[in-house]
Amino acid sequence: MEVMILMKDQVAKLYDELSGEYNFFAPVKEKGYVAYRKISNPKEIELNYFNSKIPPKEILFPQMEVLFEFKTDGKNVIEIEDRKDLDEKNILFGIRPCDAHSFDLLEKFFAFGDFQDEIFLKKRENSLIIGIGCNSPKSTCFCTSVEGHPFQKDDMDIFLVDLGDKYLVEGISDKGNNLIQQLSWLSKASKADTIKAKELAKKAEDLITTKLDLTNTSQILESNFGNEIWKEVSENCLGCGSCTFLCPTCTCFDVIDENDQYENRGRRIRIWDTCQFCLYTLHTSGHNPRDNNIERCRNRILHKFSYYPLNYDLIGCVGCGRCIQVCPVNNDLRTIINKINNIKPKEEENVSV
Amino acid sequence: MGDIESENQNIENKIKELARNLLREKEVDVIIGYKKGTVPLSSSPVFITREEDVDKLLWNNLCYVNLANYLAPRIPTLYDEEGQKLKVGIVAKGCVGRALIHLAVENQINLENIKMIGISCNGIINRKRIEKEIGEKEILETSILGNNIIVKGRDFEKTFPFDEYMNELCKVCKVKSPPNVVDSCVGECLENPVIEDDFNDISDFESKTSEEKWAYIKDTLSACTRCYACREVCPMCYCNLCFVDQNKPIWFGKTTDFTDIFAFHFNRAMHLAGRCVACGACSSVCPMGIDLNIITRKLEKIVKERYNFTSGMDKETLPPMMSFSMDDNQEFMLEED
Amino acid sequence: MNEITSETEQMKISNDEWEPKILAFLCNWCSYAGADLAGVSRIQYPPNIRVVRVPCSGRINPYFIVKALIDGWDGVLVSGCHPGDCHYLTGNLVARRRFGILKDLLEFFGIESDRVSFMWASAAEGERFAVLVRKTTKLVKKLGPNKKFEKKW
Repeated sequence: MEVMILMKDQVAKLYDELSGEYNFFAPVKEKGYVAYRKISNPKEIELNYFNSKIPPKEILFPQMEVLFEFKTDGKNVIEIEDRKDLDEKNILFGIRPCDAHSFDLLEKFFAFGDFQDEIFLKKRENSLIIGIGCNSPKSTCFCTSVEGHPFQKDDMDIFLVDLGDKYLVEGISDKGNNLIQQLSWLSKASKADTIKAKELAKKAEDLITTKLDLTNTSQILESNFGNEIWKEVSENCLGCGSCTFLCPTCTCFDVIDENDQYENRGRRIRIWDTCQFCLYTLHTSGHNPRDNNIERCRNRILHKFSYYPLNYDLIGCVGCGRCIQVCPVNNDLRTIINKINNIKPKEEENVSV
Repeated sequence: MGDIESENQNIENKIKELARNLLREKEVDVIIGYKKGTVPLSSSPVFITREEDVDKLLWNNLCYVNLANYLAPRIPTLYDEEGQKLKVGIVAKGCVGRALIHLAVENQINLENIKMIGISCNGIINRKRIEKEIGEKEILETSILGNNIIVKGRDFEKTFPFDEYMNELCKVCKVKSPPNVVDSCVGECLENPVIEDDFNDISDFESKTSEEKWAYIKDTLSACTRCYACREVCPMCYCNLCFVDQNKPIWFGKTTDFTDIFAFHFNRAMHLAGRCVACGACSSVCPMGIDLNIITRKLEKIVKERYNFTSGMDKETLPPMMSFSMDDNQEFMLEED
Repeated sequence: MNEITSETEQMKISNDEWEPKILAFLCNWCSYAGADLAGVSRIQYPPNIRVVRVPCSGRINPYFIVKALIDGWDGVLVSGCHPGDCHYLTGNLVARRRFGILKDLLEFFGIESDRVSFMWASAAEGERFAVLVRKTTKLVKKLGPNKKFEKKW
């Protein structure tokens, strides 16, 4: 498929043409940070951004989501109304490669086993990701350590490269190529454009300074569940939800029912939950298998770097660096991984007589 | 007086000296302080048990976490193998000292087991404000030069005057060093600071109409994602089961609908009346950059004007919500015309 | 009144027909008896209050008042024994401390101050009870319906 060019001042035209058919989600500036929002005016789109505060998982898996609504007769439920908007088509514009990869991980999670999460999967099926490469990764980025790359395009439908005043447009999936064909007014890319894109890719890769060696981490984690290192690593952890809420791959949620007794109706909602909260593993008996921050911190690391590789053969982290930036006590994931990698293997125990 | 830069150097050196002595003389088993953060505009609480680690301690105006949080009963990591409480040394700026005294008043900690390394704090940088102003470019390095904050990135350098880019609460702070700690204290340490406060910084907000206030509160708080970083970092939020987590009955929802967000923040403010020590940690750690400073100031104003009370100043005075009197003022009560 | 109000409601307000709903927490020993006395004495007072009987005004948790406002009540009234006369000796003194702080904080967050009222009324003060209920109803009616906490379904 040929590579095309989208001028930056043509983004509004792109929106105008697609907004009739699709819900258009793009980065917008909000209160000092960037967020992905459904826009109704192309002027809202912020093209000059690094990455969003809350990852784009919130587009398809929002913080608060109604699962279904129901009507009652005062005592019993008489009617259940399912979601009607799941067939709407979405365009997710301006997704970075790390976040685009997170959608692959999210899909694997919500489609795993006997019970498929219809709500997420239907929305995902109807979504088209227009991703964009990272020209200047941050010092906290480490996508290259988790099998990613600042210009990785496999998980996107259309891949853009920011060439300054224009974007290089490359169709990746069939969905993406079909859309590009629809946009017949896109001009063709020149050889110089493709060469510049390649140079930017190399430059971006060189700018990634954080390199973590994860080749043995999964195995080390499997055999060090009770290691003292976990106490050291979780010493200052507060047990808030910042790291997990801002993580592109974290998927835990709580389900609550809301009853509006005055109007005889109710709804079932799911909200984000986190393994870092004290209630997360609290049993109704009162027993809590993870009742302190040592065990909860350990769980988060194991989940991403041990359980995900075991269950899905994927690393459960996309290297976006948000948790590192936002942790209130600066509990740095990179420091933790390095400490784990440096755990000395246990010496053989000599059975003394 | 000197400038902020040289003050910091002095404070840092003295902290290390005092910490080293405490560990060497075995007066404490562990020292809680701050170490350098791995990302700019951050610091990290650290637990030091060995003399050789004392050099990790620092003071750099980015020490926003209130370390008293680690002594409140909900984070019981400070026990040894036999389950005995460890003797603790703690780097205490004014608000940390206030928090410790207030926790003692509420019978949650025993001040006998705690040695404060007091410092006369010269203010905390408003990191969220600086991040907002720098915008999307990455900050690679921050430092204090003279009385200015220097922020450097890959291709930019900006200077911010420290006085203006301090936390709003630090600008009006009257208790820079822990009350009643003079001996092991660095800098100008007052034994009994006198609190005189006209609360002029919130008078503008208070003169707004109800609709304007509501619009401001809604605008500020609607970014909340209910991560509870503010609650977890607060030394006064130590309940084993927070009211939002209660389910017999469920008082308020946990969603991000503004009604539920309002319920959480309003009721948390009610619970902090007469207890909040205005350390500003809640605003410094919010991932969405919500600044709760005016709410904190209003809480302080309410108890100061009604009961002439400031939290955490001495161990004897009972906080307003733990006492009552026949003569309390009741000008707000409904009366016949 | 800048939140959404239905057309019928708007008509009612402009016609002066809209009536506020006020939740009243009355302490069992003084205020509830006082309200009862007002009723027995045939003293007319506005029917806008809905009464919840509590053992003492000190039982009132700020959650009750906030939850009432969130549930859509236009106003809240709390009434207890006069200081010094509490059946449990000091319950109303504890309550008085809470109420002062609560009222200040509600006003600060943008909830109009007149929506939430606190009063003392003894078991013998049927007329006083009626007068004060009349007063608070008038104050709340002037403020219009409480639309701040409607969830969008």
